[in-house]
Amino acid sequence: MTLKWRLLCILGLIAASVWALFPRTVVERVKRNGEFVYDTVRRVPLKRGLDLQGGMHLALEVDESKAPVPDKSKAIDNALKVVRNRIDEFGVSEPVVQKAGSDRIIVELPGIDDPRRAQDVVQKSAFLEFQITDKTQALEKSLPRLDAVLKDKKIAVATTAGAAAKTDTAAGAGLQSLFSTDTSKKADSSKTDSAKAALGTTGGPGAFSKLVQQGQGMPGEYYVAQTDVPTMNQYLALPEVSAALPPGKVLRWSSDTVSLGNRVYRALYLVDAKPIITGEYITDAKPNTSPTEGNLVQFTMNNEGARRFRTETSRHIGDFMAIVLDQRVMGRPPVIQSSIGTNGQITMGGKDLQAAQDLALVLRAGSLPVPLKVVDVVQIGASLGQDSIHKATTAGVIAIALVIIIMLGYYRFSGALAVAGLALYILYTLAALAGFSAVLTLPGLAGFVLSIGIAVDANVLIFERIREELNHGKTVRTAIDEGFRHAMSAIVDSNVSTALTAAVLYQYGTGPVRGFAVTLLAGIAASMITSIFVVRTFYMLWLNRSRDAQTTLSI
Amino acid sequence: MLRILHDTNYDFIRWWKVMAAITLAFILLGLGSLAVKPPNYSIEFTGGTLMQLQFVKPPDVGDIRATLDQAGVQGAEIQQFGTNRDFTVRAQNPATVAAQAGGATTISDRIGQVLTQKFGENSFRVVRTEGVGPRVGSELRRGAITAILLSFLITLIYLSIRFEWRFATAAVIATSHDVFTTIAFLKLMHLEISLTVVAGLLTVLGYSLNDTIIIFDRVRENLRKGRKETLYETLNRSINETLPRSILTHATAFAATLALLIFAGEVIRPFAWVMAFGIVTGTFSSIYVAAPVLLWIERKWPRKTGARQSSSTATPTSRTRRSPATATR
Repeated sequence: MTLKWRLLCILGLIAASVWALFPRTVVERVKRNGEFVYDTVRRVPLKRGLDLQGGMHLALEVDESKAPVPDKSKAIDNALKVVRNRIDEFGVSEPVVQKAGSDRIIVELPGIDDPRRAQDVVQKSAFLEFQITDKTQALEKSLPRLDAVLKDKKIAVATTAGAAAKTDTAAGAGLQSLFSTDTSKKADSSKTDSAKAALGTTGGPGAFSKLVQQGQGMPGEYYVAQTDVPTMNQYLALPEVSAALPPGKVLRWSSDTVSLGNRVYRALYLVDAKPIITGEYITDAKPNTSPTEGNLVQFTMNNEGARRFRTETSRHIGDFMAIVLDQRVMGRPPVIQSSIGTNGQITMGGKDLQAAQDLALVLRAGSLPVPLKVVDVVQIGASLGQDSIHKATTAGVIAIALVIIIMLGYYRFSGALAVAGLALYILYTLAALAGFSAVLTLPGLAGFVLSIGIAVDANVLIFERIREELNHGKTVRTAIDEGFRHAMSAIVDSNVSTALTAAVLYQYGTGPVRGFAVTLLAGIAASMITSIFVVRTFYMLWLNRSRDAQTTLSI
Repeated sequence: MLRILHDTNYDFIRWWKVMAAITLAFILLGLGSLAVKPPNYSIEFTGGTLMQLQFVKPPDVGDIRATLDQAGVQGAEIQQFGTNRDFTVRAQNPATVAAQAGGATTISDRIGQVLTQKFGENSFRVVRTEGVGPRVGSELRRGAITAILLSFLITLIYLSIRFEWRFATAAVIATSHDVFTTIAFLKLMHLEISLTVVAGLLTVLGYSLNDTIIIFDRVRENLRKGRKETLYETLNRSINETLPRSILTHATAFAATLALLIFAGEVIRPFAWVMAFGIVTGTFSSIYVAAPVLLWIERKWPRKTGARQSSSTATPTSRTRRSPATATR
């Protein structure tokens, strides 16, 4: 290859590298007036990993704690689509949502500053059901049976374990306080009063009926004191209790609490187990604020859903319809006044507008087919990332300075050629990383700094060879030729074996380590190009300038 | 021209027994200490929760510990991380890992909550949170071991092709030696084994292998010259000839490592320590492990082709076959 072609090659590589590294406009999360916002910024197109720019990494798996999932891989595939839709709507620049292995979803959200909210959006099942509340007083009828079940259970438990007996005494204490509030509440509401009477007639206060009392003016609504909610949940978790519940009905907690007098209650609704319709037909949902109902989400159904909804609601006029999201009743069930078609709304209770926005988002994106749990989470603040970049850059600059001093001090003129090669090495490596859109991580940056120290190894090998050849009395031109030729096998073998190790690292590493391997690979390639090709060209250029007049070489 | 250790003629290999004793003692010390107490694995490997907190005012470490103990986050390790306002809280005992089964943020949420109660709102900032489930951790451990073993295998194959199996085996044994010394070093320095440290270990392996290959390349070349000398002498000659290169390269690599060690911050420091030690052990093993092992293999399984070091009857054809790189150029 002639000198001209060599120079053209080098210039071409430089041009390509500069182009690859030229700042371009990207959308990014940036701090403006102390707040993080999305904005377009001009930036060098080097992708920074989560550890450098801050953000959140989540690994999710199917949660089987409640019910086993038969085909996990398929469930994960479906969940993946939903999570991806949600993340797209959530609005993160360059998110990663991918399947890892057969049963895990990896989500990476760069620049997120509210991790809790992000996690909720990803994890919320968002399973929406519309269920008619019971109006046959089925729970009241079942109360004797439920109390009897608990009584049996209590005796059985009391004889076997002391720990369970403690729960019973706790329930006993709850009984006392419940009765006292009942009397104080008489003044509040005559309905509660009559409800208590109704409950009372069913044969004295058993363990179950102690905890529940009639709600306010709605069939199928019951109140449980907030302090008794855990006890109630314990009861409901017993298989005997669920067997004794009215058939075809299920109990659902309200998402909000109610304050009556000085006590806080949570409503419990008995609803038809079969929903009249589910959220799968929702095509659109948007948050809104109404002066009377507060924050709410308005949704629209598709034609099929609207038709079903209309038929079902027309059959249930005068009934109350509970809007159940992830097994929680949202707001108070409204009465169905006439058949409802395409549109509906969910009131958010006391929750803020952001909660309404997030709910609208997950409704639009669809419900998760299976519950997911977070098995792995990494959150990194944006300031930590900035700090890491700053420190790594300092270390890099100092490493370069030290290497330059050593090379210039030892090899003089040839050292200067090596330093020029090193400058190109840095340029090429960064360009390669940008070009392959590799993700730059902190270990990757450290690897890069280290590679600056190791990259000159090839130069050193060549220079030492040239020195040997000069010692043997060869002319400068021959010594350079021979030096490059003899050093070649060592350079190739050592670099290739390192590259193989880096490839293994890339294959088996995760996250930061992968970034490290990519940096290493880019570095090896750039180091070989600069030491073998670029520095050689520099020598040729130098030799050519004075037409064989060079009799001594500063090396 | 400035020269360091030029045209030397040291008998390096003569000292191999002493060196073997030293390195064996070091490895045994490290492994013995491992047997007494297992190494510190980072939460990436064990599962658990790590939080990095930055306080507005320097807090009392005892206060943090007491608050966490009361909240039921037992055995959490609290460490200063850089300045006296930065701390890491590390909860990785089996109980806390099990508590994370319901969700990876269980423990970090609780830690954040109780510390806010104790020190007040906005008294600290959570800079980093990592919550890793036990399954993820065990997969990583397996991945790291697979990576090391696989890289050995690939190296063995590559060097067998480029040199021959004797060289390849000696190089891989020298590199394995570095795995053990580095593990001993990690243990004796009480460094935590994290993913970054594993990456550092693999870099050390690459670096050490590099160094061995440079010397072996010279051995290969000197063997081809067919001098009348034993392999012992050839090895010594090759080490001496590559000595200036070794000094220079180790100096620049060490300079970069030093810069990382001092300036790159807490997160990178363990990596830099591993690398600093790696330069030492890599250099050592190239001379005092790879060369003696090669000698031993030669004695045990001598070459048949007549290319044996003492006979010096290597034919030109056999040389070119053994070294395609030089032949094609």
